[in-house]
Amino acid sequence: MKLFDDVIAQMFALLPKTPDLFSEYKESLCAPEGDKNAILFRSDMAFELGGSGKTSVSSVLFGDFPDGKDAVSVYGKDLCELSADTPFAHLTFVQLKDSREENLRYEQLKNIGFCLFQLYPQGYHIRISPSAGKEQVRVAKTALAADAPLSFLNIGCSLIHLLKTQPEVAAVQTVYVTANDVDYAALSALARRAKQITEAVKHTLEVNSLDCASCKMKPICDEVEGLRELHFKMEKERKPYES
Amino acid sequence: MNTVTFAFSGKGGVGKTSLSAAFIRLLCERFPNKRILAVDADPAVGLSTALSMEPPMTLDDVRLQIAQSIEKGETADAVALLGEAKFHLLDCVLERGNLSFLAIGRPEAAGCYCKVNAYLKQVLEMISGNFDFVVIDGEAGIEQINRRVMEQVDCLVLVSDSSKKGIQVIRTIEQVASRLVACRTAGVIFNRTRPGFDADALHDIPPVLSVIGDDALQAQCDMDGDSVFCLPEDSALLKGASRALETLLQRVHNETV
Repeated sequence: MKLFDDVIAQMFALLPKTPDLFSEYKESLCAPEGDKNAILFRSDMAFELGGSGKTSVSSVLFGDFPDGKDAVSVYGKDLCELSADTPFAHLTFVQLKDSREENLRYEQLKNIGFCLFQLYPQGYHIRISPSAGKEQVRVAKTALAADAPLSFLNIGCSLIHLLKTQPEVAAVQTVYVTANDVDYAALSALARRAKQITEAVKHTLEVNSLDCASCKMKPICDEVEGLRELHFKMEKERKPYES
Repeated sequence: MNTVTFAFSGKGGVGKTSLSAAFIRLLCERFPNKRILAVDADPAVGLSTALSMEPPMTLDDVRLQIAQSIEKGETADAVALLGEAKFHLLDCVLERGNLSFLAIGRPEAAGCYCKVNAYLKQVLEMISGNFDFVVIDGEAGIEQINRRVMEQVDCLVLVSDSSKKGIQVIRTIEQVASRLVACRTAGVIFNRTRPGFDADALHDIPPVLSVIGDDALQAQCDMDGDSVFCLPEDSALLKGASRALETLLQRVHNETV
């Protein structure tokens, strides 16, 4: 799938050349699961990723990776090296088994994105605002004080494990960013763009209109290569009784 | 966690908020290792002053934000709505020691937000389980009982003064609650009673937990805008609330054992 390629390339251009950690997925590294309704209180918290008004970014993007491997990358300090609230970005790249645009379904993308809401690692309280594209995480003091402190690798492996339960998912690469020298505002803008692309896919697959001039998605279709082509191709193939 | 929920209800102006605050203080002091959630469910938002805790945002602010994002067509899926509500919920919970405070706020926008309200209610139910005690300072009258905002309550505390109107209101609340609320125990606190008031002479009301006369110390505290935590221990309000709390905890304990 090419729709997100440009955004993905721009995101990586904002990150340092090499990650501080890159590790392939191993199921044995998954974080222990916590209670889905548990609150991590401030008094039990070591710090909050994206807390104290610092920027936080969350984005799920779809593309093809050359190696097709499941992996976790960290740019910046890992959890046990952090001691205070910090800016944070969490980017998840998903490769679909059938990544041909003509076979794309919006529900597919949506359900994969919703997997992030089902992740409840112990001592790692994730909260996500879909409308703001934010992900803030409270990290428990106890999770860091353990003999084997919780790490992004554990969290990433848990997320990959969860995403791989979706039948359409071929591979996942998840990226955690806490580095100070990253332009989080630019990452946030790109995350918004990725969300717009997903929304445009929905529009493309659901709306029959061929009048681009009156369509609210025109600006995004103008910029994202392949969206308009996908829309017209779908429209051409749509049978009369489907309209 | 076995959460014990207290909900205060009654006619307006009988001291529900002061009594809720007194219960909260007593629970905080008696159970320093337990977690207590104070919920200001009264649109008048008085509990915030009584506890001297002002949360940065209320649940109604969250509701409005979500409603606005739906109007803009941003998030309409159930999972996303719930995620959105959970995201903002933590910003509504103000923590101080073992006490957390959450205000429902004052709905000011017209329109139907049933879908959003349903998610917020779900979120509230989810977080309650993180606390040992939840104290809800309810709205005056029966509206919240009718709308099933207080659907599951362990102890329904009905508050009245010695007026006929006040007593009639608690009778009505008790009748409605007996049909709509899954309540383990209920009781009445008579507050700000006039000399000569005889609670024993009243029939058709739940058991009386405490009778509290005018409290000059509490009136002074209110006038100075001090929180319930500044109230002297020998104040009539705290002593009366303490008797009621003891009785209710004993009843819940007996039922559990």
